[in-house]
Amino acid sequence: METPGGIGITLRELRKRLGTNDALQGLSLEFSEGKMHGLIGPEGAGKTTLLRTLLGLLRADSGEILYRDGGAPAPLAKLRSDIAYMPQQQSLYPDLSIGEHLEFFKTLYGIADDEFTRQRQELLSITRLAPFVDRPAGQLSGGMYKKLGLMCALLRSPRAMLLDEPTNGVDPISRREFWELLHELSSRKILIIVATAYMDEAERCAEVHLIEEGRRVAEGEPQALLAAAGARGFDELFLKNNAKEARP
Amino acid sequence: MSEILAVEARHLTVRFGDFAAVKDVSFTVRPGEIFGFLGANGAGKTTTIRVLCGLLAPTEGVVRVGGIGFENGAEPIKRKVGYMSQKFTLYDDLTVEENFDFTSSLRKLDPAIAARRRQELLDFISFSRPLDTFVRDLPGGLRQQVSLAAALLHDPEIVFLDEPTAGVSPAARALFWALIRKLAASGKTIFVTTHYMDEAEYCGRIALMRSGELIALDSPEGLKRSTFPAPLYELSPRSEGARIRIPELKRDPAIASLEAYGIRFHVAPRSEPEWERALPELRGDFEIRRIQPSLEDVFIRLVEGGNR
Amino acid sequence: MKLSRALAISRKEVRHILRDPFTLLLALVLPVLTTIIFGYAIEFNMRNIPTAVHDGDRTLSSRTLLESFGSSRYYLLEPATGTPEAVQALSADRARAAIIIEPGFEARLRSGRGAKAQLIIDGSDNSAAGAILGYLAGVQSIAAARLLDPAPPPSAIALEPRFLFNPELNSRWFIVPGLTVVVIAILSILLTSLTVAREWENGSMELLLSTPVEPVEIIVGKLLPYTVMGLAGMFLIYLGARVVFSVPFAGSHLAYLLASALFLAACLGQGLLISVLLRKQQLSMQFAMLSGLLPSILLSGFIFPIEHMPLFFRILTSILPPRWFILASRQIHLQGAGIADIAQPLLMLSLIAAALVGLASRKFKRDLEP
Repeated sequence: METPGGIGITLRELRKRLGTNDALQGLSLEFSEGKMHGLIGPEGAGKTTLLRTLLGLLRADSGEILYRDGGAPAPLAKLRSDIAYMPQQQSLYPDLSIGEHLEFFKTLYGIADDEFTRQRQELLSITRLAPFVDRPAGQLSGGMYKKLGLMCALLRSPRAMLLDEPTNGVDPISRREFWELLHELSSRKILIIVATAYMDEAERCAEVHLIEEGRRVAEGEPQALLAAAGARGFDELFLKNNAKEARP
Repeated sequence: MSEILAVEARHLTVRFGDFAAVKDVSFTVRPGEIFGFLGANGAGKTTTIRVLCGLLAPTEGVVRVGGIGFENGAEPIKRKVGYMSQKFTLYDDLTVEENFDFTSSLRKLDPAIAARRRQELLDFISFSRPLDTFVRDLPGGLRQQVSLAAALLHDPEIVFLDEPTAGVSPAARALFWALIRKLAASGKTIFVTTHYMDEAEYCGRIALMRSGELIALDSPEGLKRSTFPAPLYELSPRSEGARIRIPELKRDPAIASLEAYGIRFHVAPRSEPEWERALPELRGDFEIRRIQPSLEDVFIRLVEGGNR
Repeated sequence: MKLSRALAISRKEVRHILRDPFTLLLALVLPVLTTIIFGYAIEFNMRNIPTAVHDGDRTLSSRTLLESFGSSRYYLLEPATGTPEAVQALSADRARAAIIIEPGFEARLRSGRGAKAQLIIDGSDNSAAGAILGYLAGVQSIAAARLLDPAPPPSAIALEPRFLFNPELNSRWFIVPGLTVVVIAILSILLTSLTVAREWENGSMELLLSTPVEPVEIIVGKLLPYTVMGLAGMFLIYLGARVVFSVPFAGSHLAYLLASALFLAACLGQGLLISVLLRKQQLSMQFAMLSGLLPSILLSGFIFPIEHMPLFFRILTSILPPRWFILASRQIHLQGAGIADIAQPLLMLSLIAAALVGLASRKFKRDLEP
């Protein structure tokens, strides 16, 4: 293992049916320790289902998920409090303020008071949300709301992070700030899996996994993938892929 | 000959209590134009759109939509405009047909005309699924297209699209924009907000908002020229080691601005001679090419520049 | 289970409640208002019920019997010329009841064959009929005493019927404790039925489930603030009942608090179970109204006495919390019961509450599987 001590996940032949929809159709992926992984694909590709399955919020119909901690197999139950999650849909309480959210998640995660005080201050300063600490989540702008979600996830210094389209509906500047935060996190060598529909964001990941209709289409380092496809950006790569499929 | 303006805002100000969401904003939109309305979250875009759609009364200033003002209430304006937002579009638990029926009964359209319009619009978006498909079963991209069609059902002159493509895949976004351009070509006025700067390139003119104020209004080309009179360069790091030099480069006197774009960096030199001197050394670590500025460059320079 | 996490949920819930004036209004103002309005509106007491009388016997005994009715304040006797006329008075709405004494009443009484008089009641008004019947028992026993014991002079016997526990037969005293049950049942089931469903609809459940928090912590955390609020509501109703309606409180306050808390726990458990199962606020609300309202009004003994129900319903009511609480509440209010006297209702309420809360915890989903 390149970075022992971290969390890594391997998926083998994962299948999941939701109602009449085959969300995952034999998906095999490797999320290696300490890297930032990008999950890209159109909506309905199975990104959200995959993240929820990784968190144990959904149970796969077949296939297996192997979690590792420091290179040794570890059950999800033991890792649960080390994995942070930022769902795609709005999941904060509109009537609670930023400060109240932090305090709520502090107790849920069982964070010690002094550590919390330090974390809170640091997070508020890097997200530049300190002036808005008493503002209810329902009155935050899109970018601020996402940053608050990220703060709640980061509060416990997670060792792995799963983010589901974290910058959806966020303006370009907030998006850049958000990614600066993610890169800062990534430099701490924690596993980050981020699902995104922004192709320029995919380029920022160490490794990208292209998913369509619950299957893996391609994966690898962004530059290598682009070079192989002869595309300058993932927008182009994606449009090429789609054009190919659109033809009968 | 003076043609009727599609949208006209003169010294528009909207206040909520003592907070001014929109401050003295003036602009006009010509019929058939694709007008991009950009800005950071919370810059006052949605508030402006609500005023233009007749959902909110301006605190000060004059607004005319399709040549009509607020003198006779919002009702005449509402008949002229169609509105589609990312948040509320269609009822998930109704079928496509039921959603259309509901919209047309809200608009009190003649059933025969509504049925004909519906078919035209479904053809327009090349909708090929059964009409009794539940909206929740449609993929996101298709849902946006159906919701656009529903917003067009009463044949409005002006269509307001508030982040219509948020969270939709690149392919679906491209399709959606093809529809928008077709609409504009047929004479409809499109007023659109987006956070995707590549989409903004399709707009005829762009208004850029920051903290309730209009800070720029021009065509994409004009914006790029005025914001970046000097050329812009893209740096692709040749190695991880090269990346480490970035903070140092940010302080380099030859460089006016340096911003990360994906894995690459965009650099605006302070002056051409200084840049020429720095180039040979930089080429060792970076692959360098001259690029045309994108609207994202413009957005970041203009909006963030003001914050600093 | 960690108490700190449950308390974190409680604290959050308190904030939701405090910021939503509607919840507070519903929980505190509505119960009192409802009790007062209903307390005044529902009037089961009847005085001077117009009663048509035909005395076909015209003897001392028949007159004594009628006198027993007439002097009781409840019946206002109107002589009729014959049986058909008495019945006619009933159907023409001039009378609510009719008493008919056939010739030979005294003769049968004397001979020990059992004398019979007929009481006909207008059954179209259920509650009035119930009240008339209720009074009858008292009148009858007095009349029997006077008729069968020849020794004491008639004046020696008091004509006022004595009703045990509620001597004035004041129906408000009976109704207000019953109303408490209805109001609290609906409110507490309704409010809690929304809480878990709201987390699902809000999307926050997805985030909650990805944290180390356990279902039982969420359940306990959500129950606590609503229990306090419910008890506050009950206290307000209690005050209203005592001050506005002067309902007597003969029994132990501790017993009442205990019974109230247990009843509340059962109702909250029911609300939570609904919320956990349905996950949609609107659906939960409708189901809560239905399952809160019907049993507490119809199957609790509040209006319809349980002893008169068919066997099936008698068994059904015994697993419904309102029945036990009404029983305990009336015994405490009017009969002066202490904890020992209401051991059975208390036990049943504890069992039901434990079962409902336990079931809600068990059914609580730890994942997003549909």
